[in-house]
Amino acid sequence: MKKSEVDVLIVGAGPAGLAAAIAAKQSGFARVRVLDREREAGGVPRHSSHTGYGLRDLHRVMSGPKYAARYISKALEAGVEISTSTTALDWAGDLALALTSPLGLEEVSASQILLATGARERGRNARAIAGTRPVGIYTTGALQQSVYQRHQEIGKRAVIIGAEHVSFSAVMTLAHAGVQTVAMLTPEARHQSYFPLHWGTALRYRYALRTRTELLEILGRDRVSGVRVATPRGEEVIECDTVVFSADWIPDNELARRGSLQISESTKSPIVNHLHETSRSGVFALGNLLMPIKSADQCALEGSSLLSKNW
Amino acid sequence: MAKRVAPHVRTFDVAIIGAGVVGAAIARELARFDLSILLIDAKSDVGAGTSKANTAILHTGFDTVPGSLESRLVSRGYFLLREYAREVGISYETCGALLVAWSAEEFANLSKIQEKAIANGYLESYLVDVADLYEKEPHLGPGALGALAVPGEWIIDPWSTTLAYATQAKAAGAILQLSTRVERIAQSSHLHTLHTSQGEFEARYLVNAAGLYSDVIDREFGFEDFVVTPRRGELMVFDKLSRSLVSHILLPVPSSMGKGVLVSPTVFGNVMLGPTAENLSDKSATESSITGLAFLQEKGRKIMPALLDEEITAIYVGLRAATEHSDFQISLHAPQRYVTVGGIRSTGLTASMAIAEHVRDLLTQAGLDLGVHDSLPAIHIPRLGEATLRPYQNEPLIAANPSYGEIICHCERVTRGEVVATLASPIPPQDQAGLGRRTRATLGRCQGFYCHAEVRALLESKSGVS
Repeated sequence: MKKSEVDVLIVGAGPAGLAAAIAAKQSGFARVRVLDREREAGGVPRHSSHTGYGLRDLHRVMSGPKYAARYISKALEAGVEISTSTTALDWAGDLALALTSPLGLEEVSASQILLATGARERGRNARAIAGTRPVGIYTTGALQQSVYQRHQEIGKRAVIIGAEHVSFSAVMTLAHAGVQTVAMLTPEARHQSYFPLHWGTALRYRYALRTRTELLEILGRDRVSGVRVATPRGEEVIECDTVVFSADWIPDNELARRGSLQISESTKSPIVNHLHETSRSGVFALGNLLMPIKSADQCALEGSSLLSKNW
Repeated sequence: MAKRVAPHVRTFDVAIIGAGVVGAAIARELARFDLSILLIDAKSDVGAGTSKANTAILHTGFDTVPGSLESRLVSRGYFLLREYAREVGISYETCGALLVAWSAEEFANLSKIQEKAIANGYLESYLVDVADLYEKEPHLGPGALGALAVPGEWIIDPWSTTLAYATQAKAAGAILQLSTRVERIAQSSHLHTLHTSQGEFEARYLVNAAGLYSDVIDREFGFEDFVVTPRRGELMVFDKLSRSLVSHILLPVPSSMGKGVLVSPTVFGNVMLGPTAENLSDKSATESSITGLAFLQEKGRKIMPALLDEEITAIYVGLRAATEHSDFQISLHAPQRYVTVGGIRSTGLTASMAIAEHVRDLLTQAGLDLGVHDSLPAIHIPRLGEATLRPYQNEPLIAANPSYGEIICHCERVTRGEVVATLASPIPPQDQAGLGRRTRATLGRCQGFYCHAEVRALLESKSGVS
């Protein structure tokens, strides 16, 4: 097995990980390596072709893939080593990780390890939603990859579960794929996104925000045929062929848990101090692994500022 | 291997209706002889009906009815399948079971169950006191009173079992005819003619292993020996991070309160909770129910509270082919050259190879000449269990083919190499669910958040090049 050593090892090449890597290089660390299990670096913004990225950190607005590409080229220019299709499997010591990749198995040790593994949306099973198991059920993340990266056929009429910021991203992604959003459901009294975004999206795409409405059950044998929902006026069926589960984020904490880092019971994130250091000295956590869900630019700013506090 | 008829000829020595675990095992058993075999199923995959939602336990048969056909076939099938799993690479773990008593009545029942186990020829069970129980299972919820240990109860990969049988039967020359629904059966003095959604097939002998529809097929012959009532079982599967919570299969003790639910590790490194038991009339009602899921969560929280804090990664629903009889309903109708294999409970996975031997013997009683016995072609099924080396951990394999080092389903750590190999396998998956059963791709905690689009593209390309 190959053994290697770096100064700073970062798991996750999304906005937080890449920004932290750039900052680490700029503050003088010689060997900075970022791992990502995906084929390409850039993280979740790569999946989202609509605009809205970069306002806070790059001071201009661009699409997700452009935003990701900017960070990748900045990192490469700074001399960061990026290893894609590389999975951090487990810990190989307090400050060492076991990796697998098409190049084989590897153990890499570091003086600092930063976990920037991000977060994912809870899917249908994780939310224990009853009903049939037909084709046509997505999370926003899966939907965006299907639409923007693979140009796959989605459907005609969608219901979105959740009314948070990312849910409006789902509306735009569905519209791009020619799918009409017939309803967006939230059990809350109002949606949980920025008002201007809601108005803009509502006007443009004409979906119906349904507050105080809860999903009960998915219907349809081979293909989704509808959803049964509970509303203040009683139960009803909304016909659709696609259901998108949006938001309800959970941190991707597998590596943190495998390392027995202290995990918050309420957020399921690793517990960190004001320097973002976890319960293990030399291991840090940042980005959406910590508090889902922050936007890409917020994660990047957090990554950039980590260095000024730590080193 | 010489066969009496070439594959394109549509007259077979034996046709088997139903490519679940039982039908596939029968096809495999008969394929070793000088016979032409047709294995036919309405679904697009093998093991895609009741077999796919099995509780995945290799049963000793300790709690079957002593003296029953089920008792005999489970006991024999246990040894046959254990050997077969070793031979072809089906994953299993020797975890053992604990029947946990939560009430005085259940506790009193433990020794009765032990006596029953002995009557079934299983001698290794022993009583476990409460202190020992919590030492064995420290995450068990409060209130357990003791347990009966059944060390021979193991866990096994149920999907690979059916796939292995069917793959080996196919390799030995059996014809697998999927997506083919039998609509009507006509009989002449020496041939059965199956009228199907894909045309006609003829067979000299017929085996009905149609599971939920075995009574419907029986009616074609005018037999009314049993009625299949679909009994829905809902199962919840928890994230791999929960695997360390539980060491044994935790079985409920039958009592006047009815049968409880089990908590069991799976060979894939998850923990399973279930099943519910609810009699229905609709044989296609494989949807999960609000009440069923709530019931499981309530039961699970009592058995192992910490488990319910973990993420649910999958919900399975199966319909058991329950009949009004407690025993397996396997019968020979010699004049019709026809064998019915009905009423197979969840023990059918364990018993499958013994059922196949039994059916083989019944067919010979009806006059089937098996001809020359030949050895089956050796096959190997990709091992999916966590207890053995997975491809992503296999340095020589990755060196020989780097795609075995490229994980595309991150939660289950399934590599591109495995998906590509599966798509090129003798019985390739037809959809994402079939791919999941063969590789575990998309069955993990993210439920496709990361890999859905990639896996779908690979499936749609079929060649495995995305």
